[in-house]
Amino acid sequence: MRQAGTYSGILSGGISGKTGPHLLPLARIKKIMKKSGEDVKMISGESPIVFSKACELFIKELTQRSWMVTMQGKRRTLNKEDVASAVMATDLFDFLVNLVSESGEATTPLEMDTSNYS
Amino acid sequence: MSENIVGASNDHDVGFKEQERLLPIANVGRIMKQIVPQNAKISKEAKETMQECVSEFISFVTNEASQKCRKERRKTVNGDDICWALATLGFDDYEVPLKLYLRKFRELEGEKAAANKTKDQEEDERYPLKFGFIGSSSKDFNLRTFD
Repeated sequence: MRQAGTYSGILSGGISGKTGPHLLPLARIKKIMKKSGEDVKMISGESPIVFSKACELFIKELTQRSWMVTMQGKRRTLNKEDVASAVMATDLFDFLVNLVSESGEATTPLEMDTSNYS
Repeated sequence: MSENIVGASNDHDVGFKEQERLLPIANVGRIMKQIVPQNAKISKEAKETMQECVSEFISFVTNEASQKCRKERRKTVNGDDICWALATLGFDDYEVPLKLYLRKFRELEGEKAAANKTKDQEEDERYPLKFGFIGSSSKDFNLRTFD
């Protein structure tokens, strides 16, 4: 990672005290921020840092809600339809509705790809 | 078996650009795994969907923050703008953990700056006013007192 020098202490889990790797690549976050609109001119050094934590919280929240759908279906594998359902059921995630609809989440069990489970 | 089969060279270019707009699937997957039970599984497609959602999240929030900066005629989007945008868009639950995180980060930066400053201070004490004329060695000036 190119920004290892400045942030390596944080990246190794120093801030939150966690030992596992939990942060997201800051350079990539910055790239995504820059592509988000023409208004975005300059980004402070700490913005990607804030986002890395915000994204972590976001992923955790959406995963939590998705997993609840998985459990309701009495399954042990969280699939993308569960993520789509969680988005539909949560007002906060309205901005994602089109995104999860595009990926064509309404598949029947027969069409589910079972070969890519981790 | 990868679903994204890279064929012709232009596919490779598209694939490369695709990767740039998404956060790495390994990182995303690791965070997801922290939430589900240990024996649970997460499909690759679910991780890919999550990647897309996170990128959309970043764009969504950044847009809001940058619009605020534009209105206030500021060129740089900073951490506080991001926090503000998150609260405005309904992610107010994130505010407390984020501010804590940002505070710790700033403390760390402050400590680093202080550590570097201490090094400079030590040098200054050894060579006071090294750039000033006052206190320079007397051989540089012909000091004569006129009684």
